[in-house]
Amino acid sequence: MNLKGRIHIFTGHFGSGKTELSINFAKYLRQTHEHVAVDDLDVINPYFRTRDVDDFFRENKIELIAPPKRLTMADLPVVSPEIYRVLQDEKYQVIVDAGGDKDGAKALGQYYHDWKDLHPEVLFVLNANRPYVSTLEGALFTISEIEDSARMKVTGIINNSNVGKLTTLDDIKKGHELSLKVSDKLGIPLLCTTISESLKEETKQFAKDHNVFYIKRFMKLEWE
Amino acid sequence: MSKILMKGNEVIAEAAVKAGCKYFFGYPITPQSELVAYMARRLPEVGGLFLQAESEVAAVNMVYGAAATGKRVMTSSSSPGFSLKQEGISFLVGSELPAFLVNVMRGGPGLGNIMPAQSDYFQITKGGGHGDYFCPVYAPASLQEIVDLTQVAFDTADKYRTPVIMAADGMLGQMMEPVEFFETEAPELPEKTWAATGERGDGGPKVVNSLHLDAGSLYQHNKHLNEKMETMRENEQRFESQFTEDADFVVVAYGTVSRIAMSAVKEARAKGVKVGMIRPITLWPFPQKPFEETRERAKAYIAVEMSAGQMIEDVRLAVNGHAPVEFYGKNGGIVPTSDEILEKILAVAGGDHK
Repeated sequence: MNLKGRIHIFTGHFGSGKTELSINFAKYLRQTHEHVAVDDLDVINPYFRTRDVDDFFRENKIELIAPPKRLTMADLPVVSPEIYRVLQDEKYQVIVDAGGDKDGAKALGQYYHDWKDLHPEVLFVLNANRPYVSTLEGALFTISEIEDSARMKVTGIINNSNVGKLTTLDDIKKGHELSLKVSDKLGIPLLCTTISESLKEETKQFAKDHNVFYIKRFMKLEWE
Repeated sequence: MSKILMKGNEVIAEAAVKAGCKYFFGYPITPQSELVAYMARRLPEVGGLFLQAESEVAAVNMVYGAAATGKRVMTSSSSPGFSLKQEGISFLVGSELPAFLVNVMRGGPGLGNIMPAQSDYFQITKGGGHGDYFCPVYAPASLQEIVDLTQVAFDTADKYRTPVIMAADGMLGQMMEPVEFFETEAPELPEKTWAATGERGDGGPKVVNSLHLDAGSLYQHNKHLNEKMETMRENEQRFESQFTEDADFVVVAYGTVSRIAMSAVKEARAKGVKVGMIRPITLWPFPQKPFEETRERAKAYIAVEMSAGQMIEDVRLAVNGHAPVEFYGKNGGIVPTSDEILEKILAVAGGDHK
């Protein structure tokens, strides 16, 4: 996996898997970088956010930038001002986990003047098995909406196509094809395909032929 | 159609559209706002209408208006917002109007919080508004089950001319699971001869109303409603029993909690405790049959809920004194863990289970 630059913004449609990827990529970056920060900009989801796994971040010495604990469940669209501490600090690798769709991307727009000079990587996470982004038209429309409200251009695509526990290689391949079409149309690279590590065996050949990044699932339910 | 990954709130909305729902009136509230957002985008695609009302009270009365024309209509909310709809629900019952009402429950009372809860059980199963009534209440435990029960709920509403409720908790609304939508055959339902769709010289105006000024007339109306509820009580109970054939102990849980409880039941089984599970799928009518089948043999029942103990009262009525009924619950937005439930099962079972 080849993440470029210092700042990596995960955007995507609602429920595309941005949060899981943010956590996984933070862990990955931490292997090679002393200072890694994850900024939770999700103002959309009430549950299952990066701030819900703060223990994991502490153990792995990854800095989590999120609204203060007392506001975690406030149901207010709050973002932490602490982001400025790491944005300009050359030491830091920064992962920004934005909320889904254009509404979530709006939280990114306010940093327009910072982004201008920092040239962040803006990654569009695509799960082709979600409503409204399963077609080229739908995916392009969602990207254009996100770009408008985030006030920046998407620079790369990550294929995170899955159907939860029932994911098959076909689902991943279908998403890969769609991602390639989006990549072609917009002239931006498809960076990788992310696959649950539980599917390592079934996807061995696919991983040989394509750029694959295996991920672990953090957002779990009590019965799992 | 192939499987797609969806969020619970989206599934309720899409399943409603598939069931022929054309109108949605509502007001956003966490943790069910995705349902409102999905409908805002989806209904215009199928020639329907989405309208964000100025309040929950307005929304439920818009539902009343649309239902009076015989069209399939719904609203959704979460606990505080659902409380606001109670007056309208009572009016829907009195006027015999079918409607689909969703409550994605959160922690109460009052504003409470935005975390999952099941503490609106009394409100949704015992009437909730004024007057003598019950509404059928469906409590899905998985996203796929939402698909099936939404169709059933709309059909039941039309069949009996009654509002029906879908009870979910915040977790079910927010979690993601694969789902598949199937084309289902439309069941035979009575023609809506009562619908107010404009007069065409076909027998005078239709009046949809819950006002009966004369005591005798209101008594007769209530008698008719009660007979209808009695029929629903007999015919519409739904439940799922697992491992109850040889069970000494029976856990009773619904919705997402039943899935947590099921992991505890399986662990207890592995430790040699003969424990089974009854999962009410309709909360009203509360399923009697699985209790009648087990209560002669079972040594105890354990109601597990995300509340201070509400469904336990219906469990006690169904067990009818044949066995003690224990309780384990957490509320205020805290979800009980399977370890805690296991501990409770082992404590009730007694003896030495390692």
